[in-house]
Amino acid sequence: MPYRKFFAVTLLVGILIGALIACSSPSAPPATSAPAATSAPAATNAPPPSGGKSVVNFYTDGDTNISDWIANKVKPAFEKAYPQYELKVTTVRGVGNGVADIAARAQAAMQTGADPQAEVFDWDPRGRPEYIQAGVFEKLSPANVPNAKNVPEAYYLSEYGMPYRGSQVLLAYDSSKIPDNEVPKTFADLVTWVKAHPGQFVYCRPDKGGSGGNFVVRALYEVTGKDPKIFQSADPDPKILAEFPKAWELLRSMHDSIYQNGSYPAGNNPVLELLANGSVSMATVWSDQSRQALDKGVLPPTIKVVQFTDLPMPGSYAPLSVVAGAKNKQGALDFVNFMLSVEEQTSVVKDIGGFPAIEWKYLPQDLQTQFTSVITNNVPYWPGGKWSTERDKGWYENVATNIKQGSP
Amino acid sequence: MTRPYNRKKIFMATARALTAQPAPPAAAKRRDLSGLFGYVLIAPPVAIMLLLIFYPAIEAVIETIFVSDAQTGQTTLSLQNYIAFFQDPILRANLTFTVLVTLATVFMLFVVGYPLAMYLRFSKSRLAGTVQVLTLFPLFVPGVILAFALIRFLGTHGMFDTLLGIVGISGYRTPYLQPQGIVIALVWEHIPFTVLVLTAGLRQVEDAVIESARDVGASGWQIFTRILLPLTTRSALIVFCLNVIGVFGAFTLPYLLGPAQPMMMGVSMQQAFNNYQDRIGALTQAVLTFLICAAVGVLYVRTITRPRER
Repeated sequence: MPYRKFFAVTLLVGILIGALIACSSPSAPPATSAPAATSAPAATNAPPPSGGKSVVNFYTDGDTNISDWIANKVKPAFEKAYPQYELKVTTVRGVGNGVADIAARAQAAMQTGADPQAEVFDWDPRGRPEYIQAGVFEKLSPANVPNAKNVPEAYYLSEYGMPYRGSQVLLAYDSSKIPDNEVPKTFADLVTWVKAHPGQFVYCRPDKGGSGGNFVVRALYEVTGKDPKIFQSADPDPKILAEFPKAWELLRSMHDSIYQNGSYPAGNNPVLELLANGSVSMATVWSDQSRQALDKGVLPPTIKVVQFTDLPMPGSYAPLSVVAGAKNKQGALDFVNFMLSVEEQTSVVKDIGGFPAIEWKYLPQDLQTQFTSVITNNVPYWPGGKWSTERDKGWYENVATNIKQGSP
Repeated sequence: MTRPYNRKKIFMATARALTAQPAPPAAAKRRDLSGLFGYVLIAPPVAIMLLLIFYPAIEAVIETIFVSDAQTGQTTLSLQNYIAFFQDPILRANLTFTVLVTLATVFMLFVVGYPLAMYLRFSKSRLAGTVQVLTLFPLFVPGVILAFALIRFLGTHGMFDTLLGIVGISGYRTPYLQPQGIVIALVWEHIPFTVLVLTAGLRQVEDAVIESARDVGASGWQIFTRILLPLTTRSALIVFCLNVIGVFGAFTLPYLLGPAQPMMMGVSMQQAFNNYQDRIGALTQAVLTFLICAAVGVLYVRTITRPRER
């Protein structure tokens, strides 16, 4: 039947074209990450390498930018500085629950007294307090990690995680369209600027990306006396929640002046897209994502970033954690210490566009000059959880819509 | 309905006389055994449907209509969750929005699909093959890729905007992050299915029927409204039902291309469940969505089980 043959050919052509699109699409990182993830378990079971080197097993489920950086830049540098160690980098991104599964394995190994085959995690143990209580993780402080003395107190999230890289939400703008003297310095300046330039500013939906979420948080700070510390409790304080409508009013007043009369994209990357193709000339972005987009040429070099000078937007620090029962615990502690060295902290800034976990003043002078517009030792911490639920619900019900909540 | 029906009867009689088909082979002998065997064959899919679709669906309905009091722990039968849904202006807007987007999408699918199907059915040119490939192409493109392509193509300063600029048209407003964006993407995604089913329906209309209509002086428009449309109502109903169900529950494209508010039910459910951790609220929305789709599903089942009007 000619029809059937035709159909088969159509199918084949379609699949080929589909495959072609899938391969050439930039949104196909799983293809590159798969080999790393699958070959990893075999690597950890391999016999100790010759030459008397002891292995430091490192697990991460971070994004490609982090795992690539650790495997290609950090690993060689660490092995050169500490010839007695070999760093085994295992990427468990997208494999089960990621590092949490390896932590479960470490706990099981602890109970039976076996080798957990894991030394360092690129992971925040606070997510699983039961492991902390069970004693799976080592307490980290300047006592066992000397370089930790340079890490500001405020960056610590818990004594079981040592912050080693940070990122913060910044204001990005196109310097070819906005003269430097017009760039907003404070949140109030931004509101005025946006209203004066309708359609030129955008931030993403607060629940779809931190660059939008932390911008909304900054609006919440604005109406609650600019004191991020009042948001520390796990359960939202009704007294503070009562102030939220003022923030909705403030953001709502900008709504019509946002890109396309209030079209908020569904994520961090769509915002970078709009900035890259010139649809908007100002947006809120993550420091590391914008830095990498600039390096790769995704964002034109005319894009510059600044931070509010009155009160910065929130950000967060990623910690390293050490398994208490690790076979090579000294290697693990040496690795954490190494990551906090000036050289590696410089690499955090230069290679992944992150923020250093040690104070900027320890970094090379030229780097400090280059980042002077965004340098701050104040990275407000937003607790998330129920606070974020209140933030998102309030934003959707009062800012993104014309419908007044509660009206019939 | 009677007049075209009679006419159709006449045409069908003519057609049958012209194409004298052999009678279907008798299968009466093996009926007693094959009946039982048939049940065995369909048992696994039916079991899967019962376990994975009906059981969770019924559980969801039960969970939303039996409300337990937090203080006394007593469960009572109440429509409280549904009343709360319809009292919430945001959720009501989401539901209305979903219905409107669905209707607009299905309407556009007919506007685009019928001419394409007619062309594929009646064209004898070599171009028809190419058109068919293009029509089926969306079948092989994953939703995420489609959304990405549309953002690049239709966005501000995208390719479409640039092309308009070349011919001197300015003031283009992108459908990205607007309701139109969802409709465009969903229409594109559902074209292959629509055209396939409509073409199949049109192929059942024998050439002889149309030729005899032409012989008695029917114009092209008359042939379409009096013969092709009535004879393809079945296909059209199938297309309508399955597209409504597919579009109503769409998630990826509305999520990536639609506005922040109002949102389609799929996106709204995901938000209630994930962001607000409101499990019962998400369930209530799911049950309502399910009920609306089920109503359309009943229409579909009636369409395909109704004996052919011959």
